Amino acid sequence: MTIAMPIRLGPAEEVLIAQLESTGAKEAADALRAKGLPNRKVEAYHYTDLKTMLRDVPGTTASADAVSAPKFQIAGAYRVLIANGVASHDGTPPNGIIVSEEEGNALNPRDDVIVGMNRGLTSSHLKVRFEGSVDPVVHLDYRLAGEAHHVATSVLIEVADGATATVVQSFSGSDAAHLGNHGTRIVLGKDAHLLHVIIDQSGMATRHFHTMEYAIDEKVQLKTLGINLGAGLSRTSIFGSFNGGGAHADFSGMNLIDARMHCDVKLDLTHAVPDTTSTELYKAVVRGDGTSAFQGRIVVAQDAQKTDAKMMSQGLMLSDEAQIFTKPELEIYADDVQCGHGATTGDLDENSLFYLMSRGIPKDEAAGILTCAFVQELLDRVEDAELNEALTGLVDEWLTSEGRA
Amino acid sequence: MTTPMLEIRDLHVRIEDEGTEILKGVNLTVPRGEVHAIMGRNGSGKSTLSYAISGREGYEITEGDVLLDGKSILDMEVDERAAAGLFLAFQYPIEIPGVATMTFLKAAMNAQRKARGEDELGTPEFMKEVRNAAAGLSIDNEMLKRALNVGFSGGEKKRAEILQMALLKPKMCILDETDSGLDIDALKVVSDGVNALRGPDRSMLVITHYQRLLNHIVPDRVHVFADGRVVESGDKDLALELESKGYAAFDGKAA
Ligand SMILES: Nc1ncnc2c1ncn2[C@@H]1O[C@H](COP(=O)(O)OP(=O)(O)O)[C@@H](O)[C@H]1O
Ligand SMILES: [Mg+2]
Repeated sequence: MTIAMPIRLGPAEEVLIAQLESTGAKEAADALRAKGLPNRKVEAYHYTDLKTMLRDVPGTTASADAVSAPKFQIAGAYRVLIANGVASHDGTPPNGIIVSEEEGNALNPRDDVIVGMNRGLTSSHLKVRFEGSVDPVVHLDYRLAGEAHHVATSVLIEVADGATATVVQSFSGSDAAHLGNHGTRIVLGKDAHLLHVIIDQSGMATRHFHTMEYAIDEKVQLKTLGINLGAGLSRTSIFGSFNGGGAHADFSGMNLIDARMHCDVKLDLTHAVPDTTSTELYKAVVRGDGTSAFQGRIVVAQDAQKTDAKMMSQGLMLSDEAQIFTKPELEIYADDVQCGHGATTGDLDENSLFYLMSRGIPKDEAAGILTCAFVQELLDRVEDAELNEALTGLVDEWLTSEGRA
Repeated sequence: MTTPMLEIRDLHVRIEDEGTEILKGVNLTVPRGEVHAIMGRNGSGKSTLSYAISGREGYEITEGDVLLDGKSILDMEVDERAAAGLFLAFQYPIEIPGVATMTFLKAAMNAQRKARGEDELGTPEFMKEVRNAAAGLSIDNEMLKRALNVGFSGGEKKRAEILQMALLKPKMCILDETDSGLDIDALKVVSDGVNALRGPDRSMLVITHYQRLLNHIVPDRVHVFADGRVVESGDKDLALELESKGYAAFDGKAA
């Protein structure tokens, strides 16, 4: 018999345990008490040691402040506001979109403290179901208003067999030390098409956690683009499972990171059945003493023959203090597969800068052009004109902002 | 006497990282409206000269001066020199993925206009200027839509350099081995493009390694470059003499 050493719990953990117990989430509370928040020895949190980075936890009651003006808007989109965790939407949704409140949490249980807390703190979820070919972009507009509080949300996105949808989730709010723990499960039926864009523009003081789970059926076509440019501390965990042949997914993201920000993206994909393909392309641009991390893991199951998965991460450091961590992992149990990964990190190419400047373009502008070019291929994947314009605006705004020293 | 367009006085340059001196006292004057050629072996420092004049980082000027239209440019940034009228056609133009050629051309033209206190160019005027200039160089729309120099053939890259030169209207052009990698037909297109830009208020320094380019772009003067300095100057016949005698007759080294 092994005797587990009792672990020492800090004040943040004590508060979290009390919050979980008060909602009756005994299991999650016990798990947290037994393990504590993950430190860097826990592989999945290697670059984001929550034991030291999450030092205080605000209460679960939101103040009565009105929500701020929307930070991100898409012309022509159907918007669902999720203010301090409470969803509301205007009028009847357009054809093919069914919005409902359902019992239980959307995420599956897994050995992950953030998921455990998300499941423990929510007892219902918002379900958005798409049927047929849905034209308008659906925009889930999450806002954390007023004074710092701890909020958990749970959403299920269901794209029916043969249906087509575009979903945007954007996160913003007041610049308070909120703790946002968001869970989204995405279930894609046979031959479903989805473009899923996730944007984090939370205030600098906010701690932002988002767990996504994709269930990918036969012949699905999925494209994802995560854009992280907010929150002093953020962690995105993406889990995906290919469960039907002929499916293809392009997972992608860009972290646009300023001074004093820490942003961690963890991707964990399983090609569970034969004949599925995927690409993963994650980029980071870091200014000041910001930190960006990417951990990508692809598992190819033993009978998942003909899997083709190509993972790439690219980092651009715009200052000497910038930090970029990247860790790709492939676990392949099948023999007839094509899988690969690559990673590059560097600063702006001197030759390119010189070339642009030799044509009269000042250094800052030239650097902006090259940085824009670095992320351009990700924006190019968004075909919807209005959405593309909104995202391009967001990226341009970041590029032309001074950046915090 | 009128002010020369370019005056290089006893220029010494070393590579910052290595400390080796590459240019060892270059003296060269290009009067207004003239085209001069520099000929020299590979490795004699021709590209280094073009980079030092352009202000490229890493090329440390330890002695001497460079004057553009009578004013020293050594304290100016690379982009300021360009806005002052200096243009370098690269020996190896840089490929820049993700930057559309048209976007780049517009950014460059407007940056220079801004630096000179002129209004930005509107899109219709810009398009018209590009079309006119592109037609003379057999550059089609499809090429302009691609990312800057990405996937361009050797000839396309050189034509794109001349297109930029035509649009930016510099007063001093340095063409670094514009003939390298060109077949006879492409050489003719590029040379015609360059000749069309000759004028009384524009000077050129044509760097080459073979005499053949100078049959197309006929220089007013020819300078032989060896081991980081000008060792001989003469009229266009010097290029022919060099071609028949070889560089060894001028720099004393075995070929
Ligand atoms: N950035 C550099 N770093 C190290 N050596 C250099 C660099 N640039 C040029 N050199 C050296 O300087 C010499 C002249 O090179 P270059 O100016 O390219 O000659 P050319 O253009 O006449 O062929 C060569 O010996 C070359 O190796
Ligand atoms: Mg050279």
